Amino acid sequence: MAPAVKIRVCDLNFHYRNRQVLHDVNLTIPSGSITAITGPSGSGKSTLLLALNRLWEEIDGCRVRGRVEIELDGRLQEIHSPALPARYVRRKVGLVFQQPNPLPMSIFRNIAFPLQLAGVRDRKLLAQQVETALRKVRLWQELHNRLEDDGRSLSGGQQQRLCIARALVLQPEVLLLDEPTSSLDPETGQAIEELLLNLKNEMTLIVVSHYQDQVQRIADLRFTVREGRFTRLPAGRPRSRTGPAL
Amino acid sequence: MGDRMVFREHLFRSAAVICGLLTLAIFCFLCVLGLPLLQDGHLLSLLSSPWAPARGLYGIFPMLLASILLALLSLALGFPVSLGCSLLITALAPRRLRMLLIGMIRLMAGIPTVVYSFAALFLLVPLMRTLIGRGSGLSLLTAAPVLALLIVPTMVIFFVAGFEKVNRAHLLALDALGGSRVQKIIHILLPGARPALINGTLLGFGRAMGDTMVSLMLAGNSTAVPSSLADSARTLPAHIALVMASDFDSMEFTSIFACGLLLYLVTGLLMLLMRLPGRSPDNES
Repeated sequence: MAPAVKIRVCDLNFHYRNRQVLHDVNLTIPSGSITAITGPSGSGKSTLLLALNRLWEEIDGCRVRGRVEIELDGRLQEIHSPALPARYVRRKVGLVFQQPNPLPMSIFRNIAFPLQLAGVRDRKLLAQQVETALRKVRLWQELHNRLEDDGRSLSGGQQQRLCIARALVLQPEVLLLDEPTSSLDPETGQAIEELLLNLKNEMTLIVVSHYQDQVQRIADLRFTVREGRFTRLPAGRPRSRTGPAL
Repeated sequence: MGDRMVFREHLFRSAAVICGLLTLAIFCFLCVLGLPLLQDGHLLSLLSSPWAPARGLYGIFPMLLASILLALLSLALGFPVSLGCSLLITALAPRRLRMLLIGMIRLMAGIPTVVYSFAALFLLVPLMRTLIGRGSGLSLLTAAPVLALLIVPTMVIFFVAGFEKVNRAHLLALDALGGSRVQKIIHILLPGARPALINGTLLGFGRAMGDTMVSLMLAGNSTAVPSSLADSARTLPAHIALVMASDFDSMEFTSIFACGLLLYLVTGLLMLLMRLPGRSPDNES
């Protein structure tokens, strides 16, 4: 039996100001998979992520045409439908930015924050959720006795994992990651890749990366983008044609 | 090339030094000309006694009180409006409305104060006369909304600049976590722009304290200590303007230098306060 469809993008066109960034994108992504999107910088990889959680609506000068359907709460839904609040979509479709962006608050508050935004007030529940999220990204051991420190005082790798934990605490169904390992040393990058493999059981992951080799190892599905046009690559090919990037 | 650079550097440095010296010179000028009053040990009585030149009393306490009351009142009216307006411009309004609003604010900042006062003289004063039920309709309460209108553009421009300096990555992070616009304002924009909010408010207060035309035309200019906000009152700048207009060689005239000195000190103090919280919380990242 084929796995259920999680995301279906039909004829997606994305304009920023006068420039067309994405051209007629068509993708089908199965549930519980890791999809890697590679391509040169400025080709439109990150833009696709903005279209998948409606974050483009917050950026002046963006226009989107086409359909983006995501299975949320067991039902394939058009995410741009007026009946669906953007906030609901963004809680279900988490996004981890390329540059770690912890908010100017404590480590604990950084992770509890999305829950507080969603209206969770119970301190005990918050503490419990923060611990679970930190354990998932393997930060609990390092940080459990300095949760009141400013989130920005952490190292780059810790900040990136903190941001992943912050996205995980909402228990999203889809997690989008924009070059999650690009600012990290190879060892921390490796740890994050293992983390993504573990997360595959709970959610569908889309990882943008311009290092072709790196994501290839863990991806079930691979796409390459050139000037806003997506091409599917055969999965599981041992090495990339463009040679090692790292 | 090198010579020219050195020359320019000297030019700009001397310009800066001259500006600083001018400010200092004004201070000395006020001190020296106000000396006759200060010398007689009148300093304390100057600040506490009433204004009765016929009895030899040149106190400016009523004016000082009126100035502070009026500035606080206009700030109380102007601050919420400025905050709401600047949030509308930075976070809440659709693009077109933003452009319209910021354009209007800039226009408002350019209108001379006498125009506001003149309009208020015909529109607001009769209304206040009816509302208060006694007197001419010229009072602190009449001047305050007009003064608020005057300081709002200054504050809005300052606040908007502060909000725009808030880290964009933090705003986008909050959006991506499913936060609402109101949550964005409460959790990111307001804390991030706190120094700009404090400085803009101090600047607004300073402008309200120093404005002459609005209070001169609308507050009534009574030299009595105002017993309520509905009373006519005279502010320090209006006092200076009025005394200067009538004579220039008497004890009254000397006393206005004390007023000038006081205004100078208040403004200086505000500027010092603005320096204190100048560090932005976002600079550390």
